[in-house]
Amino acid sequence: MAKTRELVGRRKAIRNIRKITRTMELIATARFKKALDRAQEAEAYTRKIAELASDLASAGGEITHPLLAVHDKVGKSLLLVIASNRGLCGGYNAGILREANTRLRSNREQGVQTRLELSGKRSISYFRFQRVAADATYIHFEDKPRFDEVEALANHFLELFTTGAIERLEVAYMRFLSPARQTAVVETLLPLAKPTLTDSKNTAPAKANNRVVEYEYIPDAVEILGQVLPASFKQRLFKCFLDAAVSEQIARRVTMKAATENADSMIKLISRQYNRARQAQITKEISEVIGGAAALQ
Amino acid sequence: MASSSKQLRCVVVTPEKAVLDQAADLVSLPMSDGELGVLPGRQALIGNLTTGVLRLKIGAQSVRLFVDGGFVQVRDDTITVLTPRAQLGSEIDLEGAKKSLTSSIPKDASAKVIKEHHNTILRARAMVHAAKGL
Repeated sequence: MAKTRELVGRRKAIRNIRKITRTMELIATARFKKALDRAQEAEAYTRKIAELASDLASAGGEITHPLLAVHDKVGKSLLLVIASNRGLCGGYNAGILREANTRLRSNREQGVQTRLELSGKRSISYFRFQRVAADATYIHFEDKPRFDEVEALANHFLELFTTGAIERLEVAYMRFLSPARQTAVVETLLPLAKPTLTDSKNTAPAKANNRVVEYEYIPDAVEILGQVLPASFKQRLFKCFLDAAVSEQIARRVTMKAATENADSMIKLISRQYNRARQAQITKEISEVIGGAAALQ
Repeated sequence: MASSSKQLRCVVVTPEKAVLDQAADLVSLPMSDGELGVLPGRQALIGNLTTGVLRLKIGAQSVRLFVDGGFVQVRDDTITVLTPRAQLGSEIDLEGAKKSLTSSIPKDASAKVIKEHHNTILRARAMVHAAKGL
């Protein structure tokens, strides 16, 4: 009797957990859809600003800008780690933190001083456990990063970079390639990659219209480029956050789907055990009754 | 030179979303050195925008938008506006905008303070204008 009671209790507990994971899966699916829509809306801006930069680069001749300054030897670097605030999303955080840690270690071996900035409670607690002190932490970036918030962060990085406090900015995050594929990467955002002429030929909108357009510049190409570059950096940083948000929801959906399926198979297994135990008990009781009746004769 | 279509296409995008994609007869841009009207058939252009009001004329109708700086590209009768923040005039809460304009102007208006608040004031004023239609 004790065994069957216990099995019923366990099955009930697993059913409750299954309900929770199933709900979390549905929530993650809905949030993923929203995050993906946001990321796709941002795509137009990203494409256009790259096009502008390359058009300007072709007109401006040799470009020199503080944001493009490549240092021969990088002595001071900044690593921004974008992880999630919440867990239960499988290998999402682990993947990012592994990449970040590898980069941190290789920086240390090369004698590069690294400032560590963390976004997301998961990365904060991880590095606290590793006894690595972080220089700044952020926990306000959720599944809907707003441009205003990212812009404030970007301005802070731009200031550090232009004043020479850092010579390189790296971001560790989960890049979104497709709904079925995301990879944890460490990307160098500053110094910016030089906008080149070939860019404009390769991008789709320019391909449709291959001739070089003679632009009129107001006020002039160099000055506009000077403002396009910071804007394009902000957009790239924003894209990192958007990608991270989308990837997090995907990771959570996949994990919760797996958890729900596991719960299903456990419920099945326990049900079977329970039925068998119950049957065995009935058989035992019958044989006891028969045994008792036989003893009376 | 631009093609011979009679209407302009005006696209306004921010990093967060596409705000507007509309055909227009005339587009007036708040450039960094003053307003610039664009009619169909204009030469290709790339320019800096300032915080201000973007106006579109579609027939007898007009649409106003608040834009917070950024860039504009005119090419083949398509005007692309890239701006960090944009809002349709009809969606701005006029009372709220007025209130933030009054509160953005510092009481002790020394030159230094005004310079610090310049952008905030500019932004608030452009918001009010976009909503009111001045």
